[in-house]
Amino acid sequence: MRRVAITGMGIISPIGNTCEDFFNNLAAGRSGIRRISTDFAERLSIRIAAQADFNANDHFSKKIARTMDRATQFAQVAASQAWQDSGLQLADGEKTRAGVYLGTGMGAANTLEASYEQLFVQKVKRLHPLTVVMVMNNAAASLISIDRGLKGPCLTFSTACSSSAVAIGEAFRLIKHGYADIMLAGGTESLLTFGNLMSWESIGTLALEADDPSTSCRPFSKDRTGFVLGEGAAVLVLESLDRAKKRGAGIYGEVMGYGSTADAEHITKPSVEGQALAIKAALEEACIGPDGIDYINAHGTATLANDAVETRSIKKVFGRRAYTIPISSTKSMHGHLLGAAGAVELVASVLALRHRTVPPTSTLTVPDPECDLDYVPGNARTGIDLKTVMSNSFAFGGTNAVLIVRKYKND
Amino acid sequence: MKTWERIKKLFLDNYEFPEERLCPEVTIESIGLDSLDKIEFLFALEKEFNIKIPDREVTLNSLQDVISVVERLAVEQHIPKERQDA
Repeated sequence: MRRVAITGMGIISPIGNTCEDFFNNLAAGRSGIRRISTDFAERLSIRIAAQADFNANDHFSKKIARTMDRATQFAQVAASQAWQDSGLQLADGEKTRAGVYLGTGMGAANTLEASYEQLFVQKVKRLHPLTVVMVMNNAAASLISIDRGLKGPCLTFSTACSSSAVAIGEAFRLIKHGYADIMLAGGTESLLTFGNLMSWESIGTLALEADDPSTSCRPFSKDRTGFVLGEGAAVLVLESLDRAKKRGAGIYGEVMGYGSTADAEHITKPSVEGQALAIKAALEEACIGPDGIDYINAHGTATLANDAVETRSIKKVFGRRAYTIPISSTKSMHGHLLGAAGAVELVASVLALRHRTVPPTSTLTVPDPECDLDYVPGNARTGIDLKTVMSNSFAFGGTNAVLIVRKYKND
Repeated sequence: MKTWERIKKLFLDNYEFPEERLCPEVTIESIGLDSLDKIEFLFALEKEFNIKIPDREVTLNSLQDVISVVERLAVEQHIPKERQDA
């Protein structure tokens, strides 16, 4: 069984398009949640979102920009950042041992919706000939592999809000069990379209707009009303630890465990049992007990159900220890990135390790008796010696994914 | 705008291609469009000129061919109303 290192990371997010900006904003408690000003906003009841400040023309030629959905563009840029960050240069023979695993909830939502609008409203005679290759859910992963000639496994996972945590977990196992040496793994999401915002509005999990819109998402707070949709992508380079050490790569941390379970109960209602089983499974694979986790990046969506259930799941596994682990939901600042959430939050967790800083649940002001753990309300905690961190991702559909990363000490 | 000017603009708006190299004699091959690019280009032409380019019925080797086909189809397909009624 091989050990797996993280040797590169890249991100596009509502609070920064580099890992540095992203974490600086998290540590400062800065929110990317704002009122949206798109032309359809007036037809929405809830007019807030966490948009990424991203212009395709800054990154791609006209032709490439035109033929990729916004979600695919995010993934491409995040992957390029991660690849560059890792310093990897592969010989042709090594490329058959390198692959791409990405997660996405709704894939090319922007292109799909724009195409339907042209068809149903403008009644065009033909759709753009590249519509199919733009909207297929594996477009982002495939283009990343094509760009670098990576010939190992290239798969796309779709398990709603846990999609990218699943992609990273499965990529970790692929390297651990010897099927690949290097994996680009992460996820992407961009669905702030009229149709999607209306759909989310209807299901009733979106936060109501607060007087200060940036504080609308308040995880674990008694006055929480739900999440704010966000967009972005994060990609990590996973590499066999031996290989990373041999080439003298910078190592952010070591992936230690991955828990993957299904609630098998309800399509939206979270389950303590399903979540707790996923947390336990990740701890078991990492061979660590409840005392071994120093920070939990919670799923923390700020829905009434999630935060109460997640709190009970953590208590079920960690017992008394649950009360002394700092837990935060960074969704309070970057919103809910759905298919990209797991990857973005794993990046947040790994950067917390590196910078010895626990990011806060920035908007938690009213304690809830049902959520009685330490959620790091308000401000970040600096100078904390974190060794092992855990990131929770729980999804509609009931697919739970938990990842554990440990700080790497040269041995 | 003349047909050629409109085709040229279509190109420059959609591709990074040096303007000085764009002339009617240039072959589509030498521009470096792959099969998907060609389909996309035909689609853009249809939109720009409000015509329908019949599948497989046109041979386009050079940009001059493109001009000829577009002009021919525009005449054939944009039949004035009074002639339609006749």
